Amino acid sequence: MREQLEQIKASALAELAQCGDGKALEALRVSYLGKKGQLTAILKQMGKLSAEERPVIGQVANEVRQALEAAIAEKQEALKEKELNDRLEAERIDVTMPGKAAKAGGLHPLSIVTNDLIDIFQSMGFDVVDGPEVETDHYLFEALNLPKDHPARDMQDTFYLGDNLLLRSQTSSAQIRVMEQRKPPIRIVCPGRVYRADEVDATHSPVFHQMEGLVVDKGITMCDLKGCLEQFVHEIYGPETQVRFRPSFFPFTEPSVEVDVSCSECGGKGCRICKGAGWIEILGAGMVHPNVLRGCGIDPEVYSGFAFGVGLDRLTTTRYKISDIRLLFENDTRFLDQFN
Amino acid sequence: MKVSLNWLKRYVDIKVPVDELCNRMTMAGFEVEDVEDLSASMENVKVGRIVKLEKHPDADKLQVCQIDVGESEPVQIITGAQNVFEGALVPCALHNSKLPNGTHIKKGKLRGLPSNGMLCSGEELCLKEGDYPGAEVYGILILQEDYAPGTDMRDVLHRNDVIIDFSILSNRPDCNSVIGVAREVAVVLGEEIRLPEPSYKTSGGDIHDHIAISVEDYDLCPRYMGRVVKNLRIKPSPDWMKECLRGAGMRPINNIVDITNFVMLETGHPMHAFNLNDIAGHQIIVRRAKDGETMTTLDEKPHELTSEMLVIADGQKPSCLAGIMGGLESEITADTTDLFLECAKFRRDSVRRTARALGMRTESSARFEKGVDTIGVQYAMDRALQLIEELDAGDIIEGVIDCHNGLPEERRLTVPAARINELLGVEVPYEKMAEILNALEIKTTLENGVLTCDIPYYRDDIESRADLAEEVMRIYGYEHIVGTPMKGDVIRGRKLPERIHGDVLKNLLIAHGMREITTYSFISGKAADQLGLAAADKRREAVVLLNPLGEEYSTMRTQLASSMLTVLATNMSRKNPGGRFFELSKIFKPKALPVTEQPDEIPALSLGMYGEEEDFFTLKGIVEALLARCGLEGEYARSKEPYLHPGRQAVVTIPGREEPVAVFGEVHPSAAVRFGMNGRAYLAEIDPLPLYAAMEAKRTTYQPLPKFPASTRDLSVIADKELPIAEMEKAIRSAASSIVEKVELFDVYQGGQIPADKKSVSYSILLRAADRTLTDEECDEAMKKILASLEKIHVFLRQ
Repeated sequence: MREQLEQIKASALAELAQCGDGKALEALRVSYLGKKGQLTAILKQMGKLSAEERPVIGQVANEVRQALEAAIAEKQEALKEKELNDRLEAERIDVTMPGKAAKAGGLHPLSIVTNDLIDIFQSMGFDVVDGPEVETDHYLFEALNLPKDHPARDMQDTFYLGDNLLLRSQTSSAQIRVMEQRKPPIRIVCPGRVYRADEVDATHSPVFHQMEGLVVDKGITMCDLKGCLEQFVHEIYGPETQVRFRPSFFPFTEPSVEVDVSCSECGGKGCRICKGAGWIEILGAGMVHPNVLRGCGIDPEVYSGFAFGVGLDRLTTTRYKISDIRLLFENDTRFLDQFN
Repeated sequence: MKVSLNWLKRYVDIKVPVDELCNRMTMAGFEVEDVEDLSASMENVKVGRIVKLEKHPDADKLQVCQIDVGESEPVQIITGAQNVFEGALVPCALHNSKLPNGTHIKKGKLRGLPSNGMLCSGEELCLKEGDYPGAEVYGILILQEDYAPGTDMRDVLHRNDVIIDFSILSNRPDCNSVIGVAREVAVVLGEEIRLPEPSYKTSGGDIHDHIAISVEDYDLCPRYMGRVVKNLRIKPSPDWMKECLRGAGMRPINNIVDITNFVMLETGHPMHAFNLNDIAGHQIIVRRAKDGETMTTLDEKPHELTSEMLVIADGQKPSCLAGIMGGLESEITADTTDLFLECAKFRRDSVRRTARALGMRTESSARFEKGVDTIGVQYAMDRALQLIEELDAGDIIEGVIDCHNGLPEERRLTVPAARINELLGVEVPYEKMAEILNALEIKTTLENGVLTCDIPYYRDDIESRADLAEEVMRIYGYEHIVGTPMKGDVIRGRKLPERIHGDVLKNLLIAHGMREITTYSFISGKAADQLGLAAADKRREAVVLLNPLGEEYSTMRTQLASSMLTVLATNMSRKNPGGRFFELSKIFKPKALPVTEQPDEIPALSLGMYGEEEDFFTLKGIVEALLARCGLEGEYARSKEPYLHPGRQAVVTIPGREEPVAVFGEVHPSAAVRFGMNGRAYLAEIDPLPLYAAMEAKRTTYQPLPKFPASTRDLSVIADKELPIAEMEKAIRSAASSIVEKVELFDVYQGGQIPADKKSVSYSILLRAADRTLTDEECDEAMKKILASLEKIHVFLRQ
């Protein structure tokens, strides 16, 4: 009987080595270890053995069974792994093929820039307000210290809708509406659309965008104006950028300044972008004119303030190096797709 | 304002390089727009004397000249001109020279003989007869005076000047003059200013024997001054005056005209010279024109006048458009003998309106429009008379007629110096303030910290402390303004709810692959026709621009559809394969027409898309998503927009609101063609306001996840072809609302074995109870109820 067991073990192991797939392995298991398997059949004859032989043979039989079971389990693992490897090999793909994704949408570049500015100023405590695009002469001119015969009215060619109705040529009109409604301290920005009767070309559009800023409080100085604009400029153009005030004239601020920043392209040395000047003009600003404050019922002897107006289209075209402002209004998807 | 550097130097010493002058003036508020170095336009062109002239041996029309250009040996130059002769002085462009017309001259050979340059005609040097006598003669320019050979032609032609173009801000009309700019230069450079001090002698007589003046409209003409000059001696002006005028871009004409132009440029006060003998009745009347009156101006153009326009009339007729241009009839000509000279102040808006109405703009009108001062009229007149005497241009008659109804009084401002520093935020020493203001001719004393300032008559712009602060700072230097961090209470900046909600919608649309567009707010007046809107459609009631750039941009939009369709068409025409777009912008609805008050500016949202993967339902999916974002579920019904496909459009309403929140669908093929599209496109117009309101009201509350499993039952039914899917869904839900969790449409089929007037519809229905696992029996029961409910609308189980 011992010989029989050893023989079964040997033949089983030999067959196992030949076994190539899970099915054959299962058949092999059944033919040896199954209910009607060869090993089981031998164990059934154990009863015929003597009491002395039984434990000895029993031990041998157990050893054979355990060895076979272990060998089969091992084979099973090996086969599984092979199967997996075969599958993985078959599933190899060309990883350089393009990815699949739903096409992304996005904001218009003007909105991206506007939102950036809103974030900066909102974080500095400015409320973001809105104002009408169709304005009355009062809000666009009179209250901004531009009386009827003022030559500065000619600085901007304005679109008229009626006797007293115009398309606002600057967001400054929003200043007046805010100062009429609120009392100091006031800290607002007003982004929005403005209109001027400029013929369309690469740098002019009859519809464009500005953001007006206004601060009114006790003790506001021109240094505060510069500090505020420096923070904004550093966020937009980088912390190295310098801010320069250059005297200018706007009827609704006094003193008035043009604000230049050092050219980010050449660092102020002078290049094609800044036309050799080393500086780029980005906005107009100044201290709110006493007449404007007074007109809104704010005592200029008690309060002072500053205002500024940024051209958003210009900021957008310079940021993205867009050579022609008309691209902003054409909305060619190949253009829009470039901004995320 | 173009200013000749040489002219400026008559009044102020300029010892710094031009670059530095320009930079310092820019930083004081006088931005330099352009610098033109006249000497740079012509190089190496010299005076030459022709010492020998021979015919070219191989060319009939060429002459070989030996020319003394001040060097040891004469140079040989070949010319084709026939007006040259031995001994003539001519301009020679030598080897490596540059002419004002941009030509570079190099030596070369002409018919075998070397030519070391070129003899120049007046035209080649860009000269006119008024620039140099004989300049317009055909042939080489023969120089009239005796110059040493080798003299630089720039010296002959007074081309050693630099023209600086200053941008003059509109609060500084006094600087539309050389003297005005010179004053600023003097302050900026810290130099003394030397202004002409006019004095002259009269030759007796009495002006009142020659002319009478009356001003009828002092409101339009606050001051009018006249003088008479007899026995005119009209001739060319001296070179220095010609050079000044040319530098400013004006053509010299004769001494009298040149003097009026010179004084205008120098002082900023336009002057006008009348031929005294052409003034009918020897009477000048400053009055409004009569409606329908006519006159012909110096440029020989006839004008019909209105009573809005101010004229200088004689006893019979208008003789001059006040402040704009003189009349042809009283023009000064070479044989004019007697002169009436005018210097005045006309009101700026009056001049502007008249000039605009007549389409005219002159150096004179430009200055009056910007504003001239009243007091300076006297100085300008005296200066002109001084020049008349100096140039011996005529005999000045005794007496002046000066009409005004009161001259402006001197103004004085007193301001505590500390208040100026309070506005600036810097500590400018008080003495420094006084020093700067005095340099600016604002006569200032400082006492106990208070500045007392007498404002010069030409500085109307200085009215308050803020103006003085600006004067101090622009000279003290803005580099002294150092940024300080924002002071005050910490405040949180807030956005308007409308902006916040709008951004939420935008983000959702971006997530659906949509691109934001930006289009003009004014559109073509034809847009309503392009859309095919009915005659009574409210959207035809639009605000129109009175002065549009063109018909294309003439109408404030009342809808966003036409802008969106235009963008879709642009993209299609550029062969872009597809795209999804949205615009959130304002539309303008007039309260009444014609407009008398501001129109309502209402936010509007449009969506547009085209491309292979787009159809009605991809658009509808986005509309549904927008509503869902706001916690809304829409009701969809057929609609009737003329620019949408009649069978593929829907109007969306939400509970509790009669007005639709959206209309969307496929673009009508005819409308598509009218907008220039060549394929299917989809358009939605959405009123964002109810969405904002819903978003504002929306409160999200967590719903517990289901504890019990669901059962899915599929259902295929046959329905009438025209029966809306939504009604079937309603019937399904209503039949067993407590356990129907989800009704999913997965197939709609027509044709095959299905009768022609029917359709087959398949649903997958998810059933679940919140408190137990449904038994098969319960599910079967529910399905029976559903079928019964469907049968009521003639929908039957597909066998």
